[in-house]
Amino acid sequence: MITPDDESLLRTEFCGLDFASPIVLLSGCVGFGEEYSRVAGFSNTDVGAICLKGTTLEPRPGNPPHRVFETPMGMLNAIGLQNPGVDVVVNEILPQLDFTETRFIANISGSTVEEYREVARRFDDSPIDAMEINISCPNVKEGGVAFGNDPDMSARVVATVREVTEKPLITKLSPNQTDIAENARRCIEAGTDAFAVINTLMGMAIDIESRSPVIGNNQGGLSGPAIKPVALLKTHQVWQVAHPHAVPIIGQGGISSAEDAIEFLIAGASAVGVGTALFYDPLICPKINAGIADYLRRHEMSNVAQLTGSLVLNERQACGC
Amino acid sequence: MTAHRDTIFLEEAEILERVAWEGDQYWLKVKAPKMAATARAGSFAHITVHPLRPMRRPVSILRVHEAAGEVEFLFKVFGEGTALLAERQVGETLSVLGPIGRPFALHSERPRPLLIGGGVGMPPMVFLADEIRRQHPDFRPLMILGSEVPFPFRMQPSEFLVPGIPEGVIATLPLVEEWNIPCRLASLQGYPGCFEGYVTDLARRWLDALDDDQCAEVEVFSCGPHPMLEAVAALAREYDLPCQVSLEEFMACGVGGCAGCVVEVQTEDGPRMQRVCVDGPVFEARAVFG
Ligand SMILES: Cc1cc2nc3c(=O)[nH]c(=O)nc-3n(C[C@H](O)[C@H](O)[C@H](O)COP(=O)(O)O)c2cc1C
Repeated sequence: MITPDDESLLRTEFCGLDFASPIVLLSGCVGFGEEYSRVAGFSNTDVGAICLKGTTLEPRPGNPPHRVFETPMGMLNAIGLQNPGVDVVVNEILPQLDFTETRFIANISGSTVEEYREVARRFDDSPIDAMEINISCPNVKEGGVAFGNDPDMSARVVATVREVTEKPLITKLSPNQTDIAENARRCIEAGTDAFAVINTLMGMAIDIESRSPVIGNNQGGLSGPAIKPVALLKTHQVWQVAHPHAVPIIGQGGISSAEDAIEFLIAGASAVGVGTALFYDPLICPKINAGIADYLRRHEMSNVAQLTGSLVLNERQACGC
Repeated sequence: MTAHRDTIFLEEAEILERVAWEGDQYWLKVKAPKMAATARAGSFAHITVHPLRPMRRPVSILRVHEAAGEVEFLFKVFGEGTALLAERQVGETLSVLGPIGRPFALHSERPRPLLIGGGVGMPPMVFLADEIRRQHPDFRPLMILGSEVPFPFRMQPSEFLVPGIPEGVIATLPLVEEWNIPCRLASLQGYPGCFEGYVTDLARRWLDALDDDQCAEVEVFSCGPHPMLEAVAALAREYDLPCQVSLEEFMACGVGGCAGCVVEVQTEDGPRMQRVCVDGPVFEARAVFG
C-alpha cells in the first residue's frame, strides 16, 4: 500500500489516466495481471498500471524452450508472444481483473497491419484502460520488430490502430533501429498518445559444448540492468521530440531501484517500467515508491511530474569516444 | 482468479547449516517458517544466488520442519548460479521465494507408490517419502534412488526385504530406513551394496515380482534428469501405471508471470505450452512423454 504521505507525491496523470504511482509493470513479465498476486505482500495497488502480456488475434503457442537465460547483469528471453488470443483475453481474463486496484493496459501485436487493427478493435470494446502497440518484439518471425525498425511501417501501424480506438495509445519503440527519434516523430504524426521506451535489445548466448544457441529461438531479447544506459539515452532522445507535443513516455529497461527510476524520470519519462527486476525482487515496487517519494521530499518537489525531463545537460558536448 | 493470492512467500532465510558432499553436492538448512508451514512434496523454492545475479534459481525442497520453521535443500552445482549458491555460508541469508508449484498427489486407491529419484531429482522423493509416512502410514512404498556421483549421505544396509531385488543390493538411505520406508540405490559406478544398472532396471525387477493385484496398486513418482524421466515414463506405460514426474527448466519469474519455463504438454485441447513453475513442476508423465 502506498502511504498517505507518499500518495500525493506519487500520484500522476498519464494520458488522462490516473496512476497511483509512476510505476508500470511491464508486458510479458506479469502475465495477465494476476500472476504476481500469488506472492504475499505484492499488490496491484502499488503500481500505476499493469501492461498485460502481448496479445495477438489468434492464440499463439510461443517458442520452444529454452526461453530464458541469464547473461551478465541481464537476461535473454524469447517467449514468442505465447497468448490465448484476444477473444479469450477480452472475454475470460479481463472480467476477472479488479480494475479498482490499478489501470490495465493491453499490449497488442500482429503480423500484419490489419491484425493490429483487429486486435485493437476488440480491445476497444472492453474495459481495458489503454493499449500499448508492440512494434518492437524481437522474438517473432513476422511483425514485431520488423514493423518497429521501419518508421514508415511503424507510422502505418499506429495510424491504422488510431482509426479504431479513442483509448490512449502507447507506442512501444525498439532500440534495434538506427534513428529512434525519427521513428518517434512519425508515430506522433500518426496519432500516438504516448511512448514506451525501450523494448529489449536483440542478443544471443551460445552453449560452447553443443555450439548451439542456448535460446530455442536462437536469438532473444536482452533486458535487465545491462540495458539501462542504452534505455536511458533512448528515453532522452525520444523525450526531445515528444516533449514539444506533450506526448509522455514510460521509460524502461533495467530499472531495479528507486535511483534507476529517478534517472529515467529526469531523462524525460513520465512513468517508469519495471519488468526483469521483479524476477529478482517480487516486492520491489513499494521500495521504489518509497525511494522516489523520499527523493522528491529531499528536493522539495511536490509531485513526481516535476522531475520529468529535468535533465541538466553538460555544456560541453564531447564526441563520446 | 484471485484464489491463488498470497500463497507464495518471500523470506530472508538465514543459513543454519551447510554440508558439502563429494560430487559438487550441497545440503543447506535454512530458517524459512512460512515456507516450512506450507510446502508440499514436489514444490520448490526460487532462490537468489548473488546480489549481482538478476535471475533466481529454482531449488527443490528436501524436507521441511514445520515446528522449527526450517527447510532443507539439496542441490548439485550445475552452472554459474548454483556455483554461487554453493559458496554461501552459515549465518548468511538467502532470499527464498516459495513454496512454488503443483505438488505430487498421492491416491489412496494406489497404496504402493514407487518413488524413483535420480541425481538432483532425489530431494522431492525424500520429501514425498516423508509425506507418505505421515499421511499414509498404511501405504507400502518403495523408493529407488540413482546417482553417478557418490550419494550425498552415508549409505547403510537395509533391514527390509523387498521382493525382486537382487541379492547383495542392500544399501539404503538411513533417513528413510528410519521412517520404515524400503529403499534401494542404483549406480553404474560400482558403489558397494548398490544395484549396478539403471533405476528403471531395478524398478522393473520389483514390478515383475508383484502379482497383478499388487501391480494395480502401484503409482509411479519420479524426478531426475530428462533421459531418466523418459525411461521411467516408458516403464510406467509398459506396466500401465499412472506416473507423475517433476520437471525442470530455466526459469525467470517463478510465479507464472513470464512463461519462460514452459514445456510442451498434451492436453484435452491438444498440445499446450505449460509453465513448469505454477502449472507444474509435477505433470502427468503421459502428458509430457506421450
Ligand atoms: C520474459 C519477458 C517477456 C516479455 N514479453 C513482452 C511482450 O509480450 N510484449 C512487449 O511489448 N514486451 C515484452 N517484454 C519486454 C518488457 O516489457 C520490457 O520492455 C523490457 O524487458 C525492458 O524492461 P526491463 O529491463 O525492466 O525488463 C518482455 C520482457 C521479458 C523479460
